Amino acid sequence: MKFNRRNFLKAFSALGLALLPGNGYAVPDYRNDKNFPKEYVQNRDIPEFHIRSANPFLGVDIDNWGLVVGGKVKNKLALGYEDLFGFKTHSQISRLKCVECWSAKAKWGGFRFEELVERAEPHPSAKYVHLKSADSYYESYLLEELLRPRVLLVLSMNGAPLSKDHGYPLRLIAPFKYGYKNIKYITQIDFADSQGRNYWSNHGPYSVDGTIQPGIDHPLDYHKKPLPINGGEVFHPFDKRPDQG
Amino acid sequence: MRLFLFAAIVILCCITLACDSKEEVEQLKVVVPSGVAVPEDMVYIPAGDFIMGDPSDPKTLQGKTIHTEAFLIDRYETRRGKYASFKSDYSFDPSKKNFPVANIDYASAEAYCRFKGGRLPTEAEWEKSARGIDDRKWPWRNFYQHPNNGFSGFLPEPVDKRPEWISPYGIYGMGHNVWEWTSDDYSYPGQAPAELGKFKVIRGGLTQTHTTIKFTPVFFRNWMEPTASYPFLGFRCARSIKSVD
Repeated sequence: MKFNRRNFLKAFSALGLALLPGNGYAVPDYRNDKNFPKEYVQNRDIPEFHIRSANPFLGVDIDNWGLVVGGKVKNKLALGYEDLFGFKTHSQISRLKCVECWSAKAKWGGFRFEELVERAEPHPSAKYVHLKSADSYYESYLLEELLRPRVLLVLSMNGAPLSKDHGYPLRLIAPFKYGYKNIKYITQIDFADSQGRNYWSNHGPYSVDGTIQPGIDHPLDYHKKPLPINGGEVFHPFDKRPDQG
Repeated sequence: MRLFLFAAIVILCCITLACDSKEEVEQLKVVVPSGVAVPEDMVYIPAGDFIMGDPSDPKTLQGKTIHTEAFLIDRYETRRGKYASFKSDYSFDPSKKNFPVANIDYASAEAYCRFKGGRLPTEAEWEKSARGIDDRKWPWRNFYQHPNNGFSGFLPEPVDKRPEWISPYGIYGMGHNVWEWTSDDYSYPGQAPAELGKFKVIRGGLTQTHTTIKFTPVFFRNWMEPTASYPFLGFRCARSIKSVD
């Protein structure tokens, strides 16, 4: 049977989450192999906004994509791409601050995580959230962090649907966390009662927490000149803060 | 032969001392006036002048001599276990009761200090407690690299773990562990009008660039919106002497 979005939703309804292959993308592992196809998403230093990809992959085929929300919840959800446009949309300008020192700014559009919470109704013990992606990446958050006002589940960037490079069809923007916490190509969100690990704490010297620390930033829109940052979401003197309209 | 043995012993002692990275920080001799009760875990800081800021940093007082009245300040950053005695719904891992409380906004920190009969320290009080009266750059005086380089995140420690990093008044955690709220607004010459009164000064944590972690000098002023709460941000309390019964 061809597995597409409609079949995904149908199968979810009929069989439940346990039998679903929907978010189980088979992604070739190119982390230690430089001979991956050129059209794959990969690390590229685009001057305006660098691209970072832990595991190069082709990108999401929307007909094979679905979002599963599960774990310790009352209502498990299976959502197709168009379902995500039923949520109230918000937009914000915020920086993605990479742990490698640079940052870049964009206008992000999407919906609040609380929309999923209201529909899924997590158990009171579910204080943590685990996210998985189509490129075999994974992240872990405190639920409280995802409910903060500047956190968005993002569908658009600078007025256009997310590009393949930036996480189409769905990514997270949590502006007070380093870029590696802002998971792209999300396919699965699980509520849990224990904190999980994340990809980079298992593969590199990066913390699970990933809160942006006080230090120095090299913004791409400031010719990478060093500027001090105080920790948390990055605002430079030339950035508008949310309360400045 | 005796001379040879003596020389060998002297050389051995020198090597042993040189290898001991836990040098003791020379302490200022402080006489507490009669009639002044110093609560457990607080330190008496006498009235007098000290040098505040450093000429290298234009956002500080640049080495100006400042007078403070005598005051008391907590020897340690506020512990999670102690904070729980104030806020009964504060949850923490009991095995980390001696770690600094964090994720506390300014108002909550201030409320705790009031509950304890004190207040947050002013910026001048904080800096004097950290550097004493001899214009030093680090609480422990001598420069050395932070030993935790190679990790991106923030790793809190028990508040009393580092006697080798105490200030000349015997105060712990003024050059590492969490940043700390002070009661002063963040202001400096030439500050943008829109920023006036918007931030509080925070002091005494670490700065990071990629995976390089550095101690910040005792005069370094960080800033934070009072509503912010982050895992790297905690506090300690102070008291004016006249309020001590």
